[in-house]
Amino acid sequence: MLETLGLYPSWYVPVIGSAWVMGIIGTIHVLSSHTSVGASWLFALLETKAVRENKPELMEYIKKYGVFLLVFSYIIGSITGPGIWYAITVASPKGVGGLIHNFVWVWAAEWVYFTVEVIGVYALVYLIGKVDPKTHLKLTWVFALASWATMLLIVGILSFMMWPGNDSWYQTGSTMDAFFNLNFFAHLGLRTAFMFAIAGAVGGILASTMKNEAVRIEITRFLSKMGLAGVFLGMIMWMWYIQTLPENAKIIMQTQLPGYIAPTLFAVLGATILYFALTAWKPLYLKQSFAWAMTAVIAIAGLWPEERSRESIRKPYVAGQYVYSNQLISRDVPGKQIESNLPMVAQKGILATHPFVPEELKNYTDANRLQAGEFVAKAMCANCHSMEDTGLRPMVKKLHGSTDVAQIKAYLGGALYHGLVPYMPRIPLPEHEQQLVAEYLASLSKENTQTASTKFGSDYIVAKGEQ
Amino acid sequence: MEMDSHSIATTLQVLRDPAGIPAHPVVFQFLMVLTWVSHILFVNITLGSAGIALYGFSKRDNPFWQRLSIGMTKAAKVSVSMLIVLGVAPLLFTQVIYDPLWYVSNILSASWAIGFIFTLILGYSAWFIFYYKNKPNAGGGVVWWGYFGLAMLLLDGFIMHVLSYQSLLPEQWMDWYAPNGQVDMSGSALHAWQLSRFLFFMAMSVTVVGIFLQAYAHYYKVREDYSLEYSLFVKGVGDKVALVGIILQILTFTWWILDMPHDMLTWLNPMTWLLFAFMVGFAAMLFYGKGDTKTGYKTLMMAIIMGLLIAIFREVLRVQYMLPFDYTIMDYKVMEDIPSTILFFLTLLGVGGLVGGFFLTALYKAGRTKGMYTASLQVAKLADSAVAVMIAWIAVFFLVGIWTWLRHAL
Repeated sequence: MLETLGLYPSWYVPVIGSAWVMGIIGTIHVLSSHTSVGASWLFALLETKAVRENKPELMEYIKKYGVFLLVFSYIIGSITGPGIWYAITVASPKGVGGLIHNFVWVWAAEWVYFTVEVIGVYALVYLIGKVDPKTHLKLTWVFALASWATMLLIVGILSFMMWPGNDSWYQTGSTMDAFFNLNFFAHLGLRTAFMFAIAGAVGGILASTMKNEAVRIEITRFLSKMGLAGVFLGMIMWMWYIQTLPENAKIIMQTQLPGYIAPTLFAVLGATILYFALTAWKPLYLKQSFAWAMTAVIAIAGLWPEERSRESIRKPYVAGQYVYSNQLISRDVPGKQIESNLPMVAQKGILATHPFVPEELKNYTDANRLQAGEFVAKAMCANCHSMEDTGLRPMVKKLHGSTDVAQIKAYLGGALYHGLVPYMPRIPLPEHEQQLVAEYLASLSKENTQTASTKFGSDYIVAKGEQ
Repeated sequence: MEMDSHSIATTLQVLRDPAGIPAHPVVFQFLMVLTWVSHILFVNITLGSAGIALYGFSKRDNPFWQRLSIGMTKAAKVSVSMLIVLGVAPLLFTQVIYDPLWYVSNILSASWAIGFIFTLILGYSAWFIFYYKNKPNAGGGVVWWGYFGLAMLLLDGFIMHVLSYQSLLPEQWMDWYAPNGQVDMSGSALHAWQLSRFLFFMAMSVTVVGIFLQAYAHYYKVREDYSLEYSLFVKGVGDKVALVGIILQILTFTWWILDMPHDMLTWLNPMTWLLFAFMVGFAAMLFYGKGDTKTGYKTLMMAIIMGLLIAIFREVLRVQYMLPFDYTIMDYKVMEDIPSTILFFLTLLGVGGLVGGFFLTALYKAGRTKGMYTASLQVAKLADSAVAVMIAWIAVFFLVGIWTWLRHAL
């Protein structure tokens, strides 16, 4: 047996952590990509109406929205798509590696769709009025179906990130078992619903600029109905989705998510329903700034907390409930001949098995034991915890500012060693590394205390001096 | 503090994903090389056409240059979309068979890998603004959007070059990650680059855009609203640019070969000589074909073959770089997965062929027609086939999905 673990170097981002970098890029991508898929269906439905009812004026709107999409979705969306890969590559290489090696052909099939989609959007926009309407309508429908296919393909992978849902994949290793997991259809329904809602909201930005009042009213009502249908379908799918989550996700949802998330999401839901109801009732009330504002509200107050929550409730895993967020493989997967890393961690620790530990830290001394502790702590914890006193789940706060090495060590050797906290990975560090990490974590609180007292001291001096 | 070859070999082995790969490694290598060709050609078209657009803008007193500047601004805009989407495939396949190399290199320069995304968005957006503003009566100041856009794209090209190059130097990774034993997890530095290699690809952009201009002139020859004089002008520019480009390529290629580690004996490799001979032959073809208006798309085919040879050469180099570390893709653990393999190849043939074929045919035919293009019987059939294949694909997807899901859920 090799005595080295497959652990990559770490990328440490102070305060916000690499997880937030990933989250920010992910949120931008979800907004633009879902808008694009939703809009492709809007185009197909509207164009069918335009051809059937002989209303070529509707095509002007499709062209406008299409050009807008070229910037909004096909610049930002197409760059942030690979951008997510780059972000997870540097934040969670073992996670993305696991996904890619399980789903490479699915992703490759999705790439075929991306390519035809990019050609398709140019064809759709530039060929309005340049090819006969019947051919253009076929083109638009093919584009809509191809766009949705990209969603069909990515959702299976995203759902697997949450969990396979049963034991099949662990035993067979089959991509299909991993892909069509328990969470898949509910998740697909949720995202399909969201794409209609967001395309409806973004569509308002363009609809409000239409000069022909009758067309503006017709399109705005169309968007409102589509948006409302998306919202209501989304609510049903959300209820189903919750039922398909693993136990650790449910516990995190109930106990660990920030308190503002649920009320914020409900408020956004209510605001979206009101917005679409109002624009259906009084289409001419819709101004461009109003539509922009609604889009921003959905993105910032709806999508960001939702994406953040989805990332959080998956913890401590990043893929298939077998890859921890700290890169360790947490269990055997016989179907893929994968073995858990945890026995080796328990036996030899991180410093002796991590391929990127410098010699100085492998043979640490009293002079650099704190650095050795820092290396292990950052490699094992920094994916989810900031080592500063603010930011992403700061370690100092999680340990309640404890400077008691024995107390921290007891936690590392107890609950964490045995994996008793459902939303935390099991990290069975050997005794000497528990000591190193405990010393380092205690030093963080000490630094904090010292900084606070020094700050208090200097404030005091300034205050005295001013008197 | 360098790692020894044995430690590096072990590290590379353990960093491979334990799930293995779902088909023979050569399949992925073949796809990686092939898809990289289309990616790099669009990179070249983007950079080259952006350069021509900016040069043309500076000479816009001449109406031909003005028209060409506007056309190339649009070409660069579309080409960026294509290079991004076509870059996804080689990126994917690289991560399948060379995951340890690619991931470590990215993490060691993580801030730049992330910066790549945002600078690409900025650069592309700036170019889009230039595209909207580059009209016949545009003021001179708008060109700064273009300069900024091109500068960002060049920076991104350089970042990609560095990430690729760093991945070939595993013996230096520890030096970069923990200089003097002090671990640096910031990922804030670009650690290694090879100027000769980077400049070779820049020179290739000059050649490829020259060839692109030749094809552009040929494509629009049949359009009544494109005068013969303009076509000849574009062809003339293309002839000159392509010739300059291929000469620059030969020079930078020679520099690159001399710049390679001596123990790799790159200058003795048959692939080196094949590529060199091809480029010299191509240069001769371009030189003697100057002013020939009947060349059509022949030079375009030559450029594609050149791209393919460069892609193979690049892969040969990677294999050689990895030899001292016993890293060969041939011993990657294979865990065959037939259904998903079928999914990809059928999608590639059915959807790529029929849907992609339909979109491209519609664009090609309409682009060569003044006014509205009415689909011929064949194009109408192609359109129907594209609709049918999409419906069939989605139906099969759901049937397989529901069956698998029910098998698990019940």
